[in-house]
Amino acid sequence: MPGGVSARHPFQFNALRRLLPMKKTLLVCLHLLLVPFVYSDSDSSSRKMLEALALDRVDSVDDHLNALVETGDPFIKEFVDAWRVGEVYEYELENTEKVILHRVSEQFQLLTTGEVLEVPEVREEFLKKSRASRSLRKDLARITDTIDLASPNLHTRIDAALKLGQSQNIVYLPSLRSRLDRETNEKAKRAFEEGIMISLLKNAETPGERLGAVVRLGELASLKGRDLVIKIRDENEEGGDPELFAAAHESVLQILKRQSIVENVGSFFRGLSTGSVLLIVAFGLAITFGLMGIINMAHGEFIAIGGYTCYVVQNVFENAFGVQSGAFQWFFWVSLPISFLVAALIGLIFEKGFIRFLYRRPLESLLATWGLSMVMRQTFRLIFGAANVSVETPNVLNGTSKLGLVSMSDTRLFIVIFAGFVILITWLLLSKTNLGLYIRAVMQNRNMASSLGIPVARVNSMTFAFGCGLASLAGATLSLVSNVGPSMGQTYIVDSFMVVVAGGLGNLIGAGISALGIGVIDQFLQPLLGPVMGKIVVLFAIILFLQWKPGGLFPTKSRSLDD
Amino acid sequence: MNIFDTKRELSGFVLAGLILMVLLPLSNALAPEGSIFHFAGYQLSLWGKYITYATLAMSLNLLWGYTGLLCLCQGLFFALGGYAFGMYLMLQVGVDSVYNTALPDFMDFLGYRELPAYWKPFNNPIFTMLAVMAVPGLVAFVFGFLAFRSRIKGVYFSILTQALTYAVCLLFFQNKFTLFWVDFTFGGNNGFTDFKQILGANINDASTTRWLFIGSAAFMLLVYALISMMLKTKFGKVQQAIRDSENRVRFSGYSTTTYKLFIFVLSGMIAGIAGALYVPQVGIINPGEMTAAKSLDVVVWVALGGRGTKFGPILGAIVVSMLKSYATRAFPDSWLIILGTIFVLVVLFMPNGLVGLPKQLAPWINRFRGEKKSAEPTETLTAS
Amino acid sequence: MSPFKKLAASLALLASVANVTYAGETDGTVKVGVLHSLSGTMAISETSLRDILLFTFDEINANGGVLGKKIEPVVVDGASDWPLFAEKAAQLLAKDKVAATFGCWTSVSRKSVLPVYEKYNGLLFYPVQYEGEELSPNIFYTAEAVGQQAIPAVDFLLKEGIQKFYLIGTDYVYPQTTNLVLLEYLLSKGIPLENIGGGLRKDAKGEVISAGKYTPFSHSDYQQIVSEIKDFAASGDAAVLNTVNGDSNVSFFKEIAASGLTADDCPIVSYSLSEDEFRALPTKDLVGHLGSWTYFMSLDTPANKKFIKNWKKWLKKTDASGVQKNDRVTCSPMVLSYNGVYLWKKAVEKAGTFEVDAVIKALESGISFDGPGGTVTTQENHHLTKNVYIGEILEDGQFEILESFDDVYGEPFLKGTFK
Repeated sequence: MPGGVSARHPFQFNALRRLLPMKKTLLVCLHLLLVPFVYSDSDSSSRKMLEALALDRVDSVDDHLNALVETGDPFIKEFVDAWRVGEVYEYELENTEKVILHRVSEQFQLLTTGEVLEVPEVREEFLKKSRASRSLRKDLARITDTIDLASPNLHTRIDAALKLGQSQNIVYLPSLRSRLDRETNEKAKRAFEEGIMISLLKNAETPGERLGAVVRLGELASLKGRDLVIKIRDENEEGGDPELFAAAHESVLQILKRQSIVENVGSFFRGLSTGSVLLIVAFGLAITFGLMGIINMAHGEFIAIGGYTCYVVQNVFENAFGVQSGAFQWFFWVSLPISFLVAALIGLIFEKGFIRFLYRRPLESLLATWGLSMVMRQTFRLIFGAANVSVETPNVLNGTSKLGLVSMSDTRLFIVIFAGFVILITWLLLSKTNLGLYIRAVMQNRNMASSLGIPVARVNSMTFAFGCGLASLAGATLSLVSNVGPSMGQTYIVDSFMVVVAGGLGNLIGAGISALGIGVIDQFLQPLLGPVMGKIVVLFAIILFLQWKPGGLFPTKSRSLDD
Repeated sequence: MNIFDTKRELSGFVLAGLILMVLLPLSNALAPEGSIFHFAGYQLSLWGKYITYATLAMSLNLLWGYTGLLCLCQGLFFALGGYAFGMYLMLQVGVDSVYNTALPDFMDFLGYRELPAYWKPFNNPIFTMLAVMAVPGLVAFVFGFLAFRSRIKGVYFSILTQALTYAVCLLFFQNKFTLFWVDFTFGGNNGFTDFKQILGANINDASTTRWLFIGSAAFMLLVYALISMMLKTKFGKVQQAIRDSENRVRFSGYSTTTYKLFIFVLSGMIAGIAGALYVPQVGIINPGEMTAAKSLDVVVWVALGGRGTKFGPILGAIVVSMLKSYATRAFPDSWLIILGTIFVLVVLFMPNGLVGLPKQLAPWINRFRGEKKSAEPTETLTAS
Repeated sequence: MSPFKKLAASLALLASVANVTYAGETDGTVKVGVLHSLSGTMAISETSLRDILLFTFDEINANGGVLGKKIEPVVVDGASDWPLFAEKAAQLLAKDKVAATFGCWTSVSRKSVLPVYEKYNGLLFYPVQYEGEELSPNIFYTAEAVGQQAIPAVDFLLKEGIQKFYLIGTDYVYPQTTNLVLLEYLLSKGIPLENIGGGLRKDAKGEVISAGKYTPFSHSDYQQIVSEIKDFAASGDAAVLNTVNGDSNVSFFKEIAASGLTADDCPIVSYSLSEDEFRALPTKDLVGHLGSWTYFMSLDTPANKKFIKNWKKWLKKTDASGVQKNDRVTCSPMVLSYNGVYLWKKAVEKAGTFEVDAVIKALESGISFDGPGGTVTTQENHHLTKNVYIGEILEDGQFEILESFDDVYGEPFLKGTFK
């Protein structure tokens, strides 16, 4: 049934080459053995070789790739990444000579020398994107992995060692071994050893070697090798090698023990990050709901305002500075205060417009703000379109960080820190400023506060605006991990209310604790029950919790019977 | 004991009964198509849907308008009743054309080879009718028992009901879920659809449509009469007293928990039956009916129509549904804005809803009439 | 106002809107229904279909219409509310008496209007890739069946040397059913069970009944799953078959990028992402991954170039409300809607009448149309024979076409056919 024409490609290499991957990578690795430990940076010969490769001027790609590996130049990886995302161009000079250009920060650089080249507008038709074929890219990926083994960056070396080990490809074994001998860093040595052992599980020459690998992996409590060791154990359970079985069994136990520790710590940290999201989202609601008695069903839409502001600021920066420039990276940080102000302003307008008629009438405020939420959602759709819009992650937050046993993506780490920041500014506002004093007074007894001369109406407006501003900050940070769209707020509404109610109305500390608590519990339940059931159980647990403590964690104490 | 307050109400009730249960079905059956008098089949289904919505609104009003409990999960009870009846309808499809099995399609996808035990009783229509009442009733009972016993009220109660409907909605969206160590499957996010037979009759027949319409109308009128009657009894008075001030009622010696629980279960059962009547007329039931937004829609209907009144919820449900039907056609891009704005205005300026509008406007109307009468300037006493 | 008066008023209102029937066909025009969600969660995807349909109608009308009559579109908003879809469908058929309807995106919406179209003997054209396992006499599926999207992509990956497949999708019927079919297909191609990732579901007897990892709608926490994929792909010859729907893809791909997994390490084929969805996704995280459709905007054919040019021209000058003019792309569901209209037109011309039964018979007899994606031909089983293209995502949100399969037959009933 499938047939047809393959798309013709400028870099369609000899199909025969596809049949010889083993040979090639073997050669590659052999060459790597000869690589000196310290290598020069940005070797110009590697650049020349890359240009030749990109312009299809090579006779034997294999040899060429081997030579590239020999240089051990980390620039190769940078170039490969750029090549993949379309930042590499082929340009015909006036003298009809072709060169490769590398685009960095909106400027074109000659690949071979790195100097900037101006491309005049009239010559733009001679500029075209260069693309590598899929098979070439795969080969290049293998090369960069091998080069990474000798990278100056510790984490890169560790990742590369484990990756090549896990591939269980025998060709990498010699280079892994040679690098292990040269390695001085303890962590890296461990990783290299782990990689080698995993590879040996398949590629051991003697059963003794395999047995040794199994035992060692248990000692190292290698999580990466877990499944493979389990497979060996299961294979030898009946009728296999009893010694191997015993060793594998023992190793599996050790590995699983470590795994449960790592998982628990991981769940805790993930719970912190989920809880932080909940906290940031719910804090604004806790203020408007808890302190002012207004159920703001449009809270989700203020979150969306934050996300959309971020998007708009991104576009402004993109038009002003261009996507590549360093200035563009600042768009996110600039958008944070802007989204706060925008939402606060909008909130202020709504408050003065009609919400102030709804104080102390929670059910009416629920209904009115629900109507408002409908209007806002459709307005977003009309202005920005029904589709979700994409917000780029700033480069500094792109990547993962390792904290001891667990790794967490930087965006989530940022959210945790940001949650702390939110708590901080709220606490500062409420306890150190006059406005905070007024807010607390108004919350305790509105009439009394008014009698004492506190400008209650103004306090209400400012508080509501602050709550909306917080929601918007939440939306801006959420744009890092999820979508920005008209219905973005709807996913968080029920959760935010649960957090606020569980924490106790009017109590911000309670809201914070309940947010973090709910996040952690949710993440601990997830591996056991799956994401959906975990969430459902959490919801039911909160419902039951409220049976026990109807006022939440920290109920408001009041003498009035009806509160 | 009189059920109705005024003679006009009684005559209105009887008239409504005549029109809905006799006139419209007859016009559908007898009048030739194309003539003005013919009430088309699809319109019967549409109005049948509106009528079940009106009944749902009445059940919420019973809880909110008369007992002061804002429940944001009425849609859940509606959907549960609908699902129970839907299960019966799915089993009535018989051997389906696609897989040639007696199992509903979605079970074939999931690899079931035989009908699970908890599905089997739904072959029986009597059991189904009982389930339609019992399932939402049970959920209401358990939740209400826990909530009222802990004296959860007001805003807390509303948020909790919202969480309840959200949780169950998430549960039903899954193709298969495990609860108390039993695997349940209810069609996942596609729900139940493509019904063929109901109580032996073809579901697409015109006469089936008529009978479903008559049934929905009859039930709505029954519920109306029931509520009317209840309001006049001591029970109804206590109920309204609870709305006005629960603590005083409690100090007067009544167990408000029992009263509230009873009302909660009753309203849940009414909503369930309404759901069961809704499903065959619409042809589909899926977890989308359980979302928090749908339950809020019901609240919108009651608030717009006038809560705490007998006719308000009916009016609100029908007006809003018609408005939505019309606006999604005429203003597909901005109908949400229109609806939202109307709602905000109603909440702010018409606390008694549409039903209360004449009374609200009465001072202006009287003043207008008064000014007309006194065209000549009269002596007025100046207040100084 | 007494209840009596209110009731009378309601009935008067009822009568006023109820009994005005619109004739489907007048002397100069023919009514055609457009049934999509223009608000609610599905509006994201479905508004583009409404837009392309309006464009197609204008194009046809400019060239003389159908059988000399101009098309008059009746656009209704299903609002992502499935019972409302059924209600609107009934209205379109019984009140407006439309000659044909083009609509629906989700399987739920299609399943809820199916009985309506069968009851009133209407005609619906459904353009969106779906799970198959359905055949209604009143629906024509211009959509990609599993054999016209999922399976060719798997064939391409097998050719590239991929030996391990990780299945991930959103928890609803399309991914579940597609993965069922894919599981059977992979096993029939000799891929061992342990090379199929995502988790296996077994029945009481221990037989494998389905495979894959399923997350709920709008799920955003993919950390755990991505680390699982990373381990799965460590051997270097794995790929991911992605049926995650819409929203969640943002979180999924952001997490993949953060974990350092590149498209060269482990290619991901996404079945629910087309050029239209890329507008909302971080494209730089997607570069190098794959897509499989029966049309790509980057197809270099004269038919496609003309289509895109006319579409852009129409966007500039149209004054239809709610149409976004900037940053518009074309994608497979849009082109399949376009093809559907032209196929209907040709069928009507072949049958010589707008009558539904005759048109259906004409369609079943096999009608071809040279669409922007290549020639499409109707089949007796209400599906289309069309070309399938495998493409690689570029950083500008377009696909680079790697492979094409010509004239693939559309078969909805694939489950159980692979041994």
